[in-house]
Amino acid sequence: MKRLLSSIRDGNGFDIVLVAFPLGFLFLMAGLPLLYNILMSFQEVDMFSLGTFLRPFVGFKNYQDLFAQPETWPILGNTAIFVIGSIAGQFLIGFGLALFFWVNFPGASWLRGLFLVSWVMPGLVVGAIWNWILSGDFGVLNFMLRETGIISGNIFWRSDPNYSLYAVIIANVWLGTAFNMILLSVGLASIPGDLYEAAELDGANAWQRFWTITLPMMRSTIGAIISLGLIFTLQQFDLFAAITSGGPNNSSNVTQYWAWDLSFRQYDFAKGATISVIMIVFVMFASVVYVRSTRHEVRG
Amino acid sequence: MEDVGRQDNHKEEIMGIRKYAVIGAMALAGVSMFGLSAKAEDVKLTVWSLDRDIQPAPHLVADFNKLNNGIQIEYRQIQFDDVVSEAMRAYSTGQAPDIIAIDNPEHALFSSRGAFLDLTDMISKSTVIKPENYFPGPLKSVEWDGKYYGVPKATNTIALYYNKDMFKAKGLDPNKPPQTWDELVEDARKLTDPAANVYGLAFSAKANEEGTFQFLPWAQMGGGSYENINSEGAVKALTVWKTIMDEKLASPDSLTRGQWDSTGTFNSGNAAMAISGPWELDRMSQEAKFDWGVALLPVPQEGAERSSAMGDFNWAIFASTKHPEEAFKALEYFASQDDKMFKNYGQLPARSDISIPETGHALKDAGLKVFLEQLKYAKPRGPHPEWPKISKAIQDAIQAALTGQSSPKDALDQAAEKIKAVLG
Repeated sequence: MKRLLSSIRDGNGFDIVLVAFPLGFLFLMAGLPLLYNILMSFQEVDMFSLGTFLRPFVGFKNYQDLFAQPETWPILGNTAIFVIGSIAGQFLIGFGLALFFWVNFPGASWLRGLFLVSWVMPGLVVGAIWNWILSGDFGVLNFMLRETGIISGNIFWRSDPNYSLYAVIIANVWLGTAFNMILLSVGLASIPGDLYEAAELDGANAWQRFWTITLPMMRSTIGAIISLGLIFTLQQFDLFAAITSGGPNNSSNVTQYWAWDLSFRQYDFAKGATISVIMIVFVMFASVVYVRSTRHEVRG
Repeated sequence: MEDVGRQDNHKEEIMGIRKYAVIGAMALAGVSMFGLSAKAEDVKLTVWSLDRDIQPAPHLVADFNKLNNGIQIEYRQIQFDDVVSEAMRAYSTGQAPDIIAIDNPEHALFSSRGAFLDLTDMISKSTVIKPENYFPGPLKSVEWDGKYYGVPKATNTIALYYNKDMFKAKGLDPNKPPQTWDELVEDARKLTDPAANVYGLAFSAKANEEGTFQFLPWAQMGGGSYENINSEGAVKALTVWKTIMDEKLASPDSLTRGQWDSTGTFNSGNAAMAISGPWELDRMSQEAKFDWGVALLPVPQEGAERSSAMGDFNWAIFASTKHPEEAFKALEYFASQDDKMFKNYGQLPARSDISIPETGHALKDAGLKVFLEQLKYAKPRGPHPEWPKISKAIQDAIQAALTGQSSPKDALDQAAEKIKAVLG
């Protein structure tokens, strides 16, 4: 007993306590719900059996039924377009802004801080505002595009199946750009200035300096940002709820919204869980990339 | 309750007084801090409903709290889209409110599974709530297995609003609103004026219950029903809708906009006609700066059977409540205020024993007459415990057809197949 106590105070026991505490927390807060979700995807669940664990097992029936539905593949495709489009937009604009503020003109850091306002806003508020901007008949975006002569007739961003998904992507790019910019700014600031001085002395032009110093030095930051971006875009739900509700006719539906729709609008909790399990696989992949790229960062 | 604490023992009495003094001080502090007037020993009830500040529920709750009868109600507003999912989540985790206002087609889902309290006995003893005073349609929606699981909160239906000034401006007779589907499309064509930002018609084909609510009457007028959604008349109805959308006689945003927002465009003069319910009368009489009227929903051809939707919410008490008696008392109070519902909030009580007095607002009173006439043809949706799935099949069909991704016939055939699977 005494040995155990002293080991906890000073020794292996202390290490174990340190590890066990966050592990236990993670297991309770993330592990259990995750396992419960996987369990549900193999069961037959309805709204009134939600409170129990022991529900009839149906094997892979939920998965088979899901992929037999005609809307499944289009929705998975939409999710891919949404994730790639959002990450590309957020990253490119964010990187551009980060490089712009890196020039460090008077008030640069101040302005950069102001950009964060968009990131701080709740998704539903952002969604409601974009809902007005993208409105077909009286939307600001249509007005601007019309006045500048880019379009002649109104685009029904929310209600035209050809545009609805892109309407949400536009809003999501706006929402996530600032976060990308801040992380990339931090990455840029950590590149030692003497590298650039040396390169300049050797006669490297701005473009060469960007390709041979900035990008390689930013590798771990970029890896982290893109995997975080994947996680954040797969989480993005509010904008869909506020702008298109996944419609019309599922043209802007993505897995995360669909999982909610199945669970809480059609009360098909098992299928909702099944979709979530499929999403977990992708998020796991992103997490591995994220952990690997940040580990690289620590080693320097 | 207070009597229980009053004992012969002197010491205890002093302690009791002291206790009450402390509670009183705390309550006072509570009043000054939060502006609440709840007494410590009050029974607390929670009521969830979708009514916003200009609608009945928050006012009924506030008035009830002013009675100071030992029951205090806390009100929470929930969005139309979230009523069932919130309620279900709360019920399955044991945090359900005591009272909820639930959309009538979803009532059966809860009562069939025992989530709502059986009120049959309480109603039979009640002097305020009497089944014979209610319209049969709304009353049927709170019934399950011959028992009452709720009380109709209000009722409504949909009809056609039209802008008489615009009718005049386009050379149409403002006293002859369209009577048939063909006339409706014809008039909408004449009234649509893209240069002036005016659409002929505003309605909602949104992919939620509102879309079903608006479409089902059309299908029923054409001889269809939810069990028979791909009948010839229903296909014709959806084809008419498609014509309206394809020719841009209604805003393409009708696909993602609810009835309230759609009718908002009518009030602001951006649509010449609108299909919506009596809940619009109040707002319209304040906002619309033109002469308007209400007409019965157009029918497929002259002399065809009329139909309309039957909407609005029912009050129900969750089976998990700790205070069933008090909750029923609250419902009795709500029902006792039914006679003021139209005058104050423009909603129709589901009661046949109340004759609605004139409000003095000519357009509103004229509109009301049409809605009361239309109510005679209103048919409930379901009741069926799996209504959300049936409704979803109908919504999918509407959206698939209107976005041009399948023909009205194919879309409704697919819906019929899905509904057949649900009905078993």
